[in-house]
Formats: sequence, C-alpha cells, structure tokens
Amino acid sequence: MSTEQPKRAVVTGVGVIAPNGLSADTYWKSVQEGIGVLDRITREGCEHLPLKVAGEVRSFDASTLIEDRFLVQTDRFSHYAMAAASLALDDAGLGRDAPEDPFSVGVVTAAGSGGGEFGQRELQKLWGQGSKFVGPYQSIAWFYAASTGQISIRSGFKGPCGVVASDEAGGLDALAHAARAVRRGTGAVVVGAAEAPLAPYSMVCQLGYPELSTVEEPDRAYRPFTAGASGFVPAEGGAVLVVEDEDRARDRGTAVRAVVAGHGATFTGASRWAESREGLARAIRVALDEAGCAPEEIDVVFADALGVPEADRAEALALADALGAHAARVPVTAPKTGIGRAYCGAPVLDVAAAVLAMEHGLVPPTPNVFDVCHDIDLVVSRARPADLRTALVLSRGLMGSNAALVVRRGDETAR
Amino acid sequence: MSITELTFEELAALVKQSAGVTVAPEDLRNASDVPFSALGVDSLGLLGIVGELENRHGVALPPDAERSKTPADFLGLVNSTLTTGV
Repeated sequence: MSTEQPKRAVVTGVGVIAPNGLSADTYWKSVQEGIGVLDRITREGCEHLPLKVAGEVRSFDASTLIEDRFLVQTDRFSHYAMAAASLALDDAGLGRDAPEDPFSVGVVTAAGSGGGEFGQRELQKLWGQGSKFVGPYQSIAWFYAASTGQISIRSGFKGPCGVVASDEAGGLDALAHAARAVRRGTGAVVVGAAEAPLAPYSMVCQLGYPELSTVEEPDRAYRPFTAGASGFVPAEGGAVLVVEDEDRARDRGTAVRAVVAGHGATFTGASRWAESREGLARAIRVALDEAGCAPEEIDVVFADALGVPEADRAEALALADALGAHAARVPVTAPKTGIGRAYCGAPVLDVAAAVLAMEHGLVPPTPNVFDVCHDIDLVVSRARPADLRTALVLSRGLMGSNAALVVRRGDETAR
Repeated sequence: MSITELTFEELAALVKQSAGVTVAPEDLRNASDVPFSALGVDSLGLLGIVGELENRHGVALPPDAERSKTPADFLGLVNSTLTTGV
C-alpha cells in the first residue's frame, strides 16, 4: 500500500498582459495603487459605436515579442496569450524553449470569443473580393483553440493540452483543468486566458449584452456594488500562469508562489442574475470543500463584481450564503474596476492579483468605487495591509456560468 | 500572352508575406531542395502562397502545387503551368 501523498498543483510562474501593465510587476503596482486606466476606446473603426469606454492594452508591440511566422497566423488575442505565456515561463524559470521532456508540459487556455479582428479582416476579403482572397490562416486564427495550439507549438510542449470554452468563468475552469492534469501526473501546465474584444466586429457582437455599460465617463462607467452601478466595461488582455507539480517545483528549487487548492463550477442560465446567487454559493462551497477550507479561513475575496445591481446583490448574498457570518467580515476587492473585464482573462488576472496580494500582504483596492450599497467589506480607495493566507476568486459569465477558486499562499503550505 | 516565370526573389517575398518566414533569395536558390517544413513554412503557409500566385496571375495552379515538398519542386510545377498557360 502506498503512503504517497496526492500530488498538489502549485503556481510557479505569473505572466500578465493587461491594460494597466505589460508584466506581472507593473500590473501589481497599478492594482496595488488602485490606478484606474479605463479610457475612451481609440481602436480604429470603433469610433462610431455606442460602446465608448474600455480597458485597452496600449504600447503592446506584438512584432517585438512574437516571431513573424506566428504573427501572420494569429489574432491579437493569441498575441496577448503568447506574450503572457512567455512571461510566465520566464518567471517560473522554465525558459521558452522546448523542455527536456516535451510531454511533461501541457497548455490549457480559456477563450470567450476567439480572434474577431483577424476573422473580420478575412471575412471582408471574402465578401469584398471573393473566396480566393481569404488567407488559409483564417481556418485557425479566429478559433477559440488558437492560443493553446500556438503556445504549445512555439515552445514545443507536447503534454496534455486543452481549451475551455465555458464563458468568462472558464478562466477559473481552465486553472482547475490544469490542476487536475498536474495531479494526474503532468509536470507543469501553462494555463490562462487572454482576450481581444476591442475591434469593430467584436464590439458589435457585444452591443447586444444588456449588462454592457454605455456610460461615457471612464471613471463612472464601471462601478459595481454602488447605487451608480450601470453595467460592466470590457477589457482586453489577460494572464497566464505556470501551474506545476509541487514536488517537481521544489526539486528544481523554484519558489512555490501559491497552491491551487479548490474549485467549483455551476450554471444558472444567461442573464438570470438573481439565480446566480444559488449557483455562485454552491460553487464556493464546492471549492472550499475540495480545498479542505473552512469559510473563516478565507482572508480575501476577489469578487466577480459585474456592476449590474441585481448581479451585485446576488453576489453579496451568495457570499453570505456560503461563508455565513464571515461574509460580512472578510475583505472583498475587485481590482478589475480599474481595467475592465477581459472576459475569460478577467478571473485569471484576478488569480494573478490574488497570488501577488498574498505575497505582499496587501488587499488591493477597488478603483472608482466609493459608496458601497451592499453588506460586504469592499476595500476601496487604498490597499489594506493584511496577513493573507487564503484567497477566494469568483467569476460569472454573461451566459450563466459561475465559478469559484481557492488559492493558498505558497509558503503557508510547505509539507 | 506574356510569360512570367516565378523567380526565387518573388518566392522569397511570398514566403515572407504569406508564412512570415524570412529567407534570402540566394539561400532559397542554393538550397532549393531543403523542404519547406525545414524552412518553417507549414502547409497552410504554402497554401497561402498558392492562392496569392493564382490571384496575381489569374490562373489555377495544379492541386499538387500546395503539396510541393521543396522550393525546387514548387518552382518547377508553378513555372510549367505559368509558361504553358494551362
């Protein structure tokens, strides 16, 4: 009989490409300071659309970060994912080249809409010039799976790969998928999500969402948990992590930055925000259960914070349902109000923020939010020092997915 | 009709444009038996080059063009089509 302990999945690398920073360090500095970077959309061809404010990734030059042979066959959403993956691999000390055992590293990404900008360009050729003018890379560039495939090809990873297409909450589901692959024996998984929803076609697709904020003042457009909540603001970018087998990480002397401890996911239907209360509460309970974590152990909550009054209420109530009296005491934050919601990338950015928050002992604030009208301790204005050992990250998708992820501080859990 | 042969110069420019691979025309010429795959040109990249040539010259290239393994094979096939005007 084996007395071997089950494998644990830990975070050893963090890579971020976000509106407020093109590395985990710059992202964290902005998040910690509560700097809001929401601004008027400047992307070409979008000026006339009724969506005016978003979180744009600016000063990102794909041509300096990604080789030409990948650039010609990829959309902006994959550029962000590939750049974030490189940063995460550097951070984990794994390097960008093919590993000694290529089958020991896998890739999992989540995607909410694929490569809209690339797709629009090729479809314009189709209807403007004819089918012979559509480039062959259209067949792969727009596709949800593109980022997973390109990250694995670029670095020669041949371990288990996957793509999660389960709404915004898919960012957390991808992390859970990666953690399961690690527990089953894969050495490391490059996992995360990045999106590029700011292009004409992609933006038109979003205009039908009743939850979208069309407020034109950047600092008033996305203010969840307030009486002025008027919906959410989209963002581009995302984050990629390296999730690795704890023993392997310790053997190679890499810092264990956090443990992916528990995950839960449920579905309650598109735009049925009142019902998301029950779904989110169940997801939290399942995640706590898997993590072997009591509600009182949660030291900080990274909220979904949709910014729709009914959805904000449901989230506050779900926290009360799942955490009991602790829900009124635990600090809650939503740094995404400073950058917008990058769809599947949003919860992965929150996980990155949670890892960094635990390392720095600081709960970052919720930019642009001051007058909280729900019974939660939302951290606003400035970061709050706190000993953070365990974080709960929540995410909901516009199509009805709910997910919760429990992460624990790396040094807290050495065995 | 005018006969336009595909040159190594033009092929190098197409390889750059369609597949994102930088290769000097002389290198293509001197190592024209090196497989496209070794140059970093994948099958979709070659398909893009075929499509671009068809649009430029207003002719259909034979189905085998996109299955060519090397620049030498490709140039041979393309030029026999272009020069015979089939």
